[in-house]
Amino acid sequence: MDQFYLAMNMFRRRKFDKCADICTQLLEKNPYDQAVWTLKMRSLTAQVMVDDIEADEDGIADEFLDTEMIAQAARPGTSLRTAAPTAAPGLRPRANTGRAVSGMVRPRTQTGCGAGSLEAALRTPRSALSARPITSFTARSVRLGTASMITQPDGPFIQVSRLNLAKYAAIPGVAKPLFQYIFYHENDVRNALDLAVEATKASQYKDWWWKVAIGKCYSMLGINRDAEQQLRSALKHAPNIETYLRLSALYSKLDQPLNSLEICTSALQVFPNEVTLLTEIARVFEALNNIPASVKYYRDILQEEATNVEAIACIAVNYFYSDQPEVALRFYRRLLQMGLYNAELFNNIALCCYYAQHYDMIVTCFERALSLAMGETVADVWFNIAHVAIGVGDLKMATQCLRLSLAADPNHGAAYNNLAVLVHRKGEVQQALSYFQTAQAVSSYLFEPFYNYALVSKKVGDLQSSYSAVQKSLKVYPNHVQSQELLSSLRKYFENI
Amino acid sequence: MAVPLYTLQLNQTFIPGLVTIGKYDGSHSCITAATNGDKVLVHTPHIRDKELSVLNVNQPVTAICAGRLRPDDNRDVLLIGTQTTLLAYDVENNTDLFYKEVPDGVNAIVVGRLGQWECPLAVVGGNCSLQGFDWRGDDPFWTVTGDRVRSLALLDIDHDGENELIVGSDDFELRIFKGDALIYEITETEAVTSLSVLESSKFSYSLTNGTVGVYDKQTRLWRVKSKNAAVCLWTYDIDGDGSAELITGWSNGKVDARNHRTGEVVFRDVLGHGVSGIVVGDYAMTGKPQLIVCSIRGEVRGYDSSCVTKDHVQRQGDTVRDLFSKKQMLLTELKNYTADPTGSGIPANTRLLTEINVKADHQVTFGGHVEVALSTNNSTVVRVATVFAEGIFEGETFVVHPQPQHVTNHLTIPLVPPNDTPLDIHIRAFVGPNAFKTEYHVFEVTRQLPRFSMYALASPITKTIPDSYATFQLSFLCNQLEAWQMQNFLAAVGSSNEERGGEGPSGADWSASLTCLRDGSPLHIRFRGTTITVATPHISLAADIVQSLAVYLNLDRVESVAEFPALFTEVEENLNRLEELKSNATRMAAAVADTANLIRSLIVRAEDARLLGHMKDLRECYVQLQQVNGDLVRGHSVRVANHRELLATLHSLNAVIQHSSKLRSE
Repeated sequence: MDQFYLAMNMFRRRKFDKCADICTQLLEKNPYDQAVWTLKMRSLTAQVMVDDIEADEDGIADEFLDTEMIAQAARPGTSLRTAAPTAAPGLRPRANTGRAVSGMVRPRTQTGCGAGSLEAALRTPRSALSARPITSFTARSVRLGTASMITQPDGPFIQVSRLNLAKYAAIPGVAKPLFQYIFYHENDVRNALDLAVEATKASQYKDWWWKVAIGKCYSMLGINRDAEQQLRSALKHAPNIETYLRLSALYSKLDQPLNSLEICTSALQVFPNEVTLLTEIARVFEALNNIPASVKYYRDILQEEATNVEAIACIAVNYFYSDQPEVALRFYRRLLQMGLYNAELFNNIALCCYYAQHYDMIVTCFERALSLAMGETVADVWFNIAHVAIGVGDLKMATQCLRLSLAADPNHGAAYNNLAVLVHRKGEVQQALSYFQTAQAVSSYLFEPFYNYALVSKKVGDLQSSYSAVQKSLKVYPNHVQSQELLSSLRKYFENI
Repeated sequence: MAVPLYTLQLNQTFIPGLVTIGKYDGSHSCITAATNGDKVLVHTPHIRDKELSVLNVNQPVTAICAGRLRPDDNRDVLLIGTQTTLLAYDVENNTDLFYKEVPDGVNAIVVGRLGQWECPLAVVGGNCSLQGFDWRGDDPFWTVTGDRVRSLALLDIDHDGENELIVGSDDFELRIFKGDALIYEITETEAVTSLSVLESSKFSYSLTNGTVGVYDKQTRLWRVKSKNAAVCLWTYDIDGDGSAELITGWSNGKVDARNHRTGEVVFRDVLGHGVSGIVVGDYAMTGKPQLIVCSIRGEVRGYDSSCVTKDHVQRQGDTVRDLFSKKQMLLTELKNYTADPTGSGIPANTRLLTEINVKADHQVTFGGHVEVALSTNNSTVVRVATVFAEGIFEGETFVVHPQPQHVTNHLTIPLVPPNDTPLDIHIRAFVGPNAFKTEYHVFEVTRQLPRFSMYALASPITKTIPDSYATFQLSFLCNQLEAWQMQNFLAAVGSSNEERGGEGPSGADWSASLTCLRDGSPLHIRFRGTTITVATPHISLAADIVQSLAVYLNLDRVESVAEFPALFTEVEENLNRLEELKSNATRMAAAVADTANLIRSLIVRAEDARLLGHMKDLRECYVQLQQVNGDLVRGHSVRVANHRELLATLHSLNAVIQHSSKLRSE
């Protein structure tokens, strides 16, 4: 059999290792065979290439050192930073980034608006699951860029720095695989950009693919405005879902969510009912804390694609927090039917069962969850078990569960808070106060530790610290009525002095 | 002094000239101004607790303007221009309408309807270029103009229901465009810094030298000059008489309102600091717009017609003081006449003769000059002469003041007009019986320099015909051409036909060889049959001659063929270089972004190390940071050089386009 045909066949059957091996042998015989060379590039790229549209994540540095956002304090509802809290924090808990809990953890849900400064962001506890990259650039190369680290036996396949990019850019069949190879396999964005610039020139600025490629490189390098120009000009040539999504992500990065929505809506005119576009819209609405609109789009997604995990999970969470655990349970069961089998799911089902009063199911579900849980999820499961234990009145068990939760994750602020309340019930005020303080330190996005601390210290008579704590509580949750009442009573007291 | 309706202290720095006002939500006016640190402030008095919001631009703001750009929306759009970009931003919704790269820079923006375009356009004036963007970010309007644009205004100057564009630029010109065709061109004495539209076909202008004036179409109604620079002009009916006044804000903090017909001051006030901008908007929510003046330190004062009436008494005092000073002046003058009735006398028949000639003299000036010779017809002497003309010298007057021993009844004044424009020169000659008097008679004469005054006849030896030329078809008589030359050239005056090198005015063949005194380049005009050929190495000169001929002969349409091989290769080179510079710029921008990423991660790592108290790592990070920073700074200087070259190339390309477009006439 012709070796090249075999290699092609291997490539088509997604046996990329073998394809690359055969290509290597062929290239030894004839190093100038462009077809083989290209095939090898493609097979090497295919081994590491992932869909990177959603893999983008803002790093700590991007959030605090860049001022690409135009408005520093935009009108609420028009910015991702000043998103209006429609759901009260008391009713729907916040994730450790300070944003309302979503049904699904995605790269961009980690980016928060909680910490106000670089120092605060760095002091926020980071663990293997909640760690944020330093910059979006490092985020990507850590996550995806492992390929270039593998040392190849006789030097790298292509020495990118020695390539005459302008020459290859002019050959359409080679240029695109070469770009993908440099971009995905070598992770060398600058050279990829050089190649793309040459290639778009060679195509007389008429090929949308190259414009998207340049846009990709620019947004990777953080030159967002140039990326916008390239993507917009690419859209003029050919409307493409990927381009729309990248443009939308770019506007989210520039903190212009309404523009993101507009882009996606106009894209829906071209690609009606496209699920990825609907998902993007739903996510932006969720980031804007406009949960009803978000759920509406998730429902639209389910009309198109009944097995969309993200949509089901988000709708379920929304039902759960709007006091309809039975309905949420149905959605979670649907996920279970689809073959999802993990600790989070069982944990959620257990909670739904508890609120829907299917008490028989709770223990088995939590057991399943515990057996599947890894790392910090264990802490969450124990925290929820403690919650159930408090509900049934077994405070001793609740205390034990909370301690187990803290053993699994020493930065679990909510667990500290609950433990402090239980300790306070026993009458150990000083210990309770110190637990509250710990909770405040590890999770400043929760208002409960502040309010509880203020309440307890007021009772003890430490009005000054009560006053400062209740102010912090109101900063996190400005409409909390009890905090406001506490503050006004303290004010009255201070005015009397 | 007027009492303002209200005064606000915003305690922010406002950059002069970069202040505008917009109704971003469709109903509430918001003062918007550029401030330090490449930021833009939006003052929203209708929002409690959050009156000032800040927009990051991240590049120095060069122009700012708010206006209704969307045809179907009554909300204003904020346009922010920087050296390379234009951003149209919806303040209310925190969204971009568009973000455009404008390599020519953005020096002035004006929003409104232009010509026959249906959508409102944001017209942007840059380095030699004018671009009009609609709300989608497309640019249906594009043209070139001379030099850097400083100010723009939209006005229906010919009452045809469509707005024309008035452009003031650095080359002292006011140009008025109808669509993309230039209809009027007015030469001023300095760079035009701002323009404002008055009623009907009147508009006001201000110059860098502190002149403020009003034009009605092409005729100047009045002008005044101050030693301070006018920062901004606006139009507002401050005295409530139904016709708008011209409001001027000066760099020393003065604000005055002048009647637009006479220039008479009807209102004035002084702010504590220099004026940064004047806008008109309803800030007191009274339902009627007020005049709002902002200072550079963020003081905002509002006035309306109720502020003017209060200073009637003040004005009486002013008038009395004016009359007193006038009286004083007249008294001094009278004293002059009475003190020495005979001493300064000169014969009654003394006349001042002026003669204007071209002198290819290399001693006084490089290349040669235009010589104005003054002489008296008797023994009286010309002691001093002051020449007043626009745009020839630094400033506006030129004084020739010889040593007393060299004073005769003859005085020559060398002039070197830098441009080919017709000039009015006003000469004041001080004539007296001898050079040692303290009092002289002043003779005033006004002479006109023809347009192409700096061209002398070429001597037969150096006569060369340049290989670049413009040629076009004309059917007219030779003597018309002759008359045109008489009117527009100094050189032909008094020279005979033989010298002109032609076969006589009656023949169908006529030619003239001239030399430019500025750089010695030849100019050859030749008319044969119905074809006229203008041969010169400078395309701008050929363009000027074509335009001048077209105006003189009242031609509606001239189509010419141009052959400028040197220029053509230059343009080709420029285009190639532009390509190269642009790709260099992208490459360097990518490199900078790459380095910036490194810096960011280093800063975060250093901060992390600091919080952990790990001083060794901290030190390492900072050492690296310093190195990378050094690289970045070096790279920046390369980028700046690249950018400057890019701008120069664009400038020369735009100039070529402008001159070539002038080679035809419509």
